[in-house]
Amino acid sequence: MSRQAVQMKTQPRSLVGSERRPTVAPACDVYENDEEILVIADVPGVTSDSLTINLEKSELTIAARRDVSKDQPFVTKEYRDCDFQRRFAVPGGIEEDKISADLKDGVLSVHLPKSEALKPRQIAVRAG
Amino acid sequence: MLTRWNNGWNDFDDVFSAMSELRERMDRVFDEAFGGRFWDQPLPFSAATWPRANLVDAGSNLILTAEVPGLSEKDVQLTLNQDVLTIRGERNVQAPEGYTVHRQERSAVKFSRSFALPCRVDAERTSATVKNGILTVMLEKAAEAKARQIAVKSAN
Repeated sequence: MSRQAVQMKTQPRSLVGSERRPTVAPACDVYENDEEILVIADVPGVTSDSLTINLEKSELTIAARRDVSKDQPFVTKEYRDCDFQRRFAVPGGIEEDKISADLKDGVLSVHLPKSEALKPRQIAVRAG
Repeated sequence: MLTRWNNGWNDFDDVFSAMSELRERMDRVFDEAFGGRFWDQPLPFSAATWPRANLVDAGSNLILTAEVPGLSEKDVQLTLNQDVLTIRGERNVQAPEGYTVHRQERSAVKFSRSFALPCRVDAERTSATVKNGILTVMLEKAAEAKARQIAVKSAN
């Protein structure tokens, strides 16, 4: 192998790859009670205008874009801009029009209210 | 690649270039497995890495930011001891009253993390805010640590 070729090989790799935005699955909690299903996700640095919540064919998609860092001289960098995305299969019978969400301190809560048909019912027992 | 090794170990350049190639190949394996160089990937959340932080040197001040989802300003304590900044805090994660748990990935953490800052800072002029789950600490550099312009005078 010629000296020239060796030189080429030992040059540092391009850093272009590190500029890609990673897609990250946020940590989520899923809770349920008689009234609703509640999904809670950690999305630090996300503002409500860069957040989309979608329910389509019983699939809930949470997507958020985080832009926190500009081109600054970083000394250490452990987190960076990213796209948060997570999908969940939800059971049928969710009142799609009544889904609500709130974002507080970088934590997203999505409330999925159950329709009347899904709610448990008390059945009165009458004496015969 | 193997044929080059037969040239013998005397040629150190060849040995090092082979090592370099091996490293590049391993990088490519990680590229394929993780969709990027694996050290570029965000670290997974766990108590050991909580909170992840960035430090920016903005000339006359240092800016430390950290991911603290679910915490507000009253949940975070900051201590500055010379050039060591310590962040302490605690996050409780509990199922809301009356709900059953299907999945619980968000962990409750009690953390303490210290950062050795690259220079002395002015403790009196340090401020911190928490917004949207991001803690931002503005640290004004001490006067002796700031860059200074030195005028060049002619020798005459």
